[in-house]
Amino acid sequence: MPWSSQNGGGRKSGGGGGPWGQGPSGGPHQPDLEELLKRSQDRLKQVMPGGSGLPGPVLFLVAIVGCALVAFFAFTFRVNPDELGVVVRFGKPVRQEPPGLHFRLPYPIEEVRLPKVTRQNIIEVGFRSGMTSRGFPGGVSDRPEESLMLTGDENIVDVDFVVFWRIRDAQQYLFNIQNPEVTVKEVAESAMREVVGQSNIQPILTEARQKTEQAVQKLMQEVLDSYQAGIRIEEVRLQKVDPPTQVIDAFRDVQAARADRERLQNEAQAYASRVIPEARGEAERILQAARGYKEQTVAEATGQTSRFLKVLEEYKKAPDVTRKRMYLETMERVLGGTDKIIIDGKQGQGVVPFLPLDQLQKRKEGAN
Amino acid sequence: MLRALAAVVVVTVGAIAAAAYFALFVVHVNEQAIVLEFGKPVRIISEPGLYWKIPVVQTVDTFDKRILDLDTAEQEVTAADQKRLKVDAFARYRIVDPLLFYQAVRDERSVRSRLGPVIESALRRVLGSATFTDLVRDKREALMKQIAKQVNEEGKEFGLEVVDVRIKRADLPDQNQKNVFDRMRAERQREAAEFRAEGTGAANRIKANADREVTIIKGDATRDAEQTRGEGDAERNRIFADAYTRDPDFFAFYRSMQAYEQGFKPGDTRMLLSPESEFFKYFTNPGSGNATGAPKR
Repeated sequence: MPWSSQNGGGRKSGGGGGPWGQGPSGGPHQPDLEELLKRSQDRLKQVMPGGSGLPGPVLFLVAIVGCALVAFFAFTFRVNPDELGVVVRFGKPVRQEPPGLHFRLPYPIEEVRLPKVTRQNIIEVGFRSGMTSRGFPGGVSDRPEESLMLTGDENIVDVDFVVFWRIRDAQQYLFNIQNPEVTVKEVAESAMREVVGQSNIQPILTEARQKTEQAVQKLMQEVLDSYQAGIRIEEVRLQKVDPPTQVIDAFRDVQAARADRERLQNEAQAYASRVIPEARGEAERILQAARGYKEQTVAEATGQTSRFLKVLEEYKKAPDVTRKRMYLETMERVLGGTDKIIIDGKQGQGVVPFLPLDQLQKRKEGAN
Repeated sequence: MLRALAAVVVVTVGAIAAAAYFALFVVHVNEQAIVLEFGKPVRIISEPGLYWKIPVVQTVDTFDKRILDLDTAEQEVTAADQKRLKVDAFARYRIVDPLLFYQAVRDERSVRSRLGPVIESALRRVLGSATFTDLVRDKREALMKQIAKQVNEEGKEFGLEVVDVRIKRADLPDQNQKNVFDRMRAERQREAAEFRAEGTGAANRIKANADREVTIIKGDATRDAEQTRGEGDAERNRIFADAYTRDPDFFAFYRSMQAYEQGFKPGDTRMLLSPESEFFKYFTNPGSGNATGAPKR
């Protein structure tokens, strides 16, 4: 029987192609189904004219199986874990089904839409993080026309951000809005510009990031709700908030200047904390020197006076003798070391005393 | 006989199927339809469901009921304060009167060419009466509402309801953008200079304070030191005075002796002496033992 052998071969090759060609979805069954239909029709034609050639029960069985398969695919549908099955009967949405296998009426009556309700969608504004062919993150390309925007104080800021959104109401999402992706993107751009436009540049660059994110998220949600888009904005995340590249050097220089300010102050502080202790040390030295002087002076004075008092004590016992002795001893010491010229005033009268000053000078130099 | 019956059944079913195919139509929840009878509109259907029509005689045109996109081209607008802006807006609209829409616009693709100019002129009109800051910062929301309202008025003629017109981008033309960049750069440079000056100022202040403190510390120390030295000197004077006032006469003699000894250092002094001085008393006259006595003063 050529039919059955061909049939068997076709099935086998179809099954073999499965793992490579298509995944475990219902897809690969479709051609088989059509084939089956065609074949069963052919068989019917063959059977109808007189039932000649084939054994009746085999054909009948094949026809039953074929009909069952057709019915199975016509009356059921499959919802994947990330999807929601929205069943539309004659254009009207009638029910929603969770993941699994579900009953439906065949095509013209009921249709099924399968939006991916659990998937978190990402929209990038201001840049595109292209993926390379092997799935690694590729180069990020900037989109200045999307990311450059005016601030409230007429500056320009470069903002890249991503928006995470999810389907909140599958029915609204499917039937209320034409291009959800495009709409989210345009609303995101519009909202970000509106929020940025209401702020000055400095807070946007620094402390108001979170506030900006929240404001944009809120505004986007309001706009999308007004469209009844059935979309929930889960998060708006600012990626890069910078001054435009044309002026970023100037902004960096401001940071550098800020650091310079700190550095100069710290250096001055370091100077202060060096010189003041040094001065304290110096002051202490001056004070100690003065104290030393005082004590030394007093000690010397005390010493001198006590010497004097001792001498005085002895002197009082024999004033004249002591005085004379002291005088002579002193003169002895004084005159003992000096050059002396003795001139007798009476006999030497009329003689002009000659002082050989130059000789004296020479002697002095020689002595030195 | 059985075969004839089967043929009749097949033909009947086929006829019913064909009739159903040509006479029935489905309007989806995201659609609306008008039924035309040789071009004359006879029914407008806005509720989803299964409907019938007379085959051949009546035809059905469906229109989207969802919110549709319209993105306008970027255009330059002059604000009331003569500042120029590149404005890129988008609109969201829906078809509310399919018949009017059919008559005025016919299909979605033509909306851009009909509604686009309306939006553009509304933008120009509204933004032309607002200032730059109104648009960027203060009244953006209100201006967008105003534009949407004007566009909506005109959109009604096309059977459209304009849900929203939003300014997507409002940027400066390149030339002005360059000016803004220059200004931003100048402002930042000023700011940087200010920070550096502040830093230098603060540093100078700190250093000056430190120097002042150093001077004060040293001054205080010198003052205290001088006081201490003075105390020392005073003490010395007191001690000397105490001792020397006990016998001023002897003190004078004693001190003179010390001064002679200190004053005439050996080697640098030459003396002319008269042998008649007290010292030489016995030098010339060793006998006069009674010559000793009070020294001459």
